[in-house]
Amino acid sequence: MFTVAMAVPGSGAAVGIDRLFLGLALAATAILIALVLLDGQPLSAALILGGFGLGIAFLKAEFSYTASWRRFLTRGEAGGLLGGLIVIAVAAAVIVPTAALKQNFGGTIAPLGPSLLIGAFVFGIGMQLANGCGSGTLYTVGGGSGRMLIALLFFIIGSVLGSLSLPSALALGGVDPVLASDYLGPWGGLAVTLASLALAAGLIVAVAKRRGANFMPSRNYVIGGIAIGLLSIAVFAAGGHPWSVTFGFTLWGAKIASALGFDFLQAAFWQWPGPKHALSESILSDTSSLTDFGMLFGAMAAAAASKPFAATAWPPLKSLLAAGIGGLLMGWGARLGFGCNIGAFVGGVASGSLHGWVWFAAALPGCLIGIRLRPLFGLSRE
Amino acid sequence: MIPMRKIYIAVVALALVAIVGNHLTSPSSGRAVSPEDFAGACAPCGAPCPSKK
Repeated sequence: MFTVAMAVPGSGAAVGIDRLFLGLALAATAILIALVLLDGQPLSAALILGGFGLGIAFLKAEFSYTASWRRFLTRGEAGGLLGGLIVIAVAAAVIVPTAALKQNFGGTIAPLGPSLLIGAFVFGIGMQLANGCGSGTLYTVGGGSGRMLIALLFFIIGSVLGSLSLPSALALGGVDPVLASDYLGPWGGLAVTLASLALAAGLIVAVAKRRGANFMPSRNYVIGGIAIGLLSIAVFAAGGHPWSVTFGFTLWGAKIASALGFDFLQAAFWQWPGPKHALSESILSDTSSLTDFGMLFGAMAAAAASKPFAATAWPPLKSLLAAGIGGLLMGWGARLGFGCNIGAFVGGVASGSLHGWVWFAAALPGCLIGIRLRPLFGLSRE
Repeated sequence: MIPMRKIYIAVVALALVAIVGNHLTSPSSGRAVSPEDFAGACAPCGAPCPSKK
């Protein structure tokens, strides 16, 4: 193992640096940045770096939407959920007015209907079985979890299957997106968005108090929430729209399937202008792939800088099975639900789009089902 | 079972080769975009609006 031990001044403790994986993460990031800069795309380099920062922030703050939601549902603890709302409030302060006022910027929107409800609900089940959502899967894979490597593989497969199901799900009906700034202007839209966050925070705290549980976010979640919110703004500034995760997975899967001979010409999803363009262009021309790659390697660098990387044993087979099933459900659910915790919930609410809250309301009961299923795979309900 | 580190090394190497290979063999016609940047897109994945059907 290529690790070195360094003394931490004043503490007497030794910190293991995994030089092999730290070097691998930094070299991979440098190669990707060099490729996009050679194409004359500095904003693409900024997206990779934004993702890199997000990977570090998530890993260091141990910021987990999945565990936070589970702790709220099982014990009433609200600190993690409130940390998630801090991310949205920080991001919304810039995204709502900028998307409404500036050309070349837009918020995250999505139609309201059965597809959104079904997708978010199924995603909720999957995230509890896999033990990580979209961003959680990325940073834990980057952090050296072989279990989440399995979840990511099946997330990718599930999202390609979801891309084939989405047109039929949309045919079930729905209404156009509802964006606060369309009705109230940029500043009225921001005020309503922040008010909705305050109302949600109040309700969450009330539930926690009623159950006699802690509702104060930890220091990690406050600092991590602010840092992730600020990095989300940086990604928005570089990409022109809020940070999203899961379309990248769908694209990776479709490109691999295409290379293996699968023909997407007959698939309606891949004939829509955006996906069709993404499938034919370089993978480094897709904004979500750029931040995803950055996040993976950022988390890998942060993990390898502090301890031997991926040095743990594989978990039991039942746990790996849960990761695979959870990944598959999340992938399928993310396509039907227009994203994950980041793309649909954080991006949607931070844009002032109603679908973000609808996604949250549908994913939460899905999480309850997922939590009840966890013991079947040897996982704790806590 | 194969040690996790060896799996990681293989996956990262394979992924890098695939990314670089795809980039060098595919067109990249300008700044990076998302499906939602295209006209008529109503969601991050580029799905059309229900009213446009």
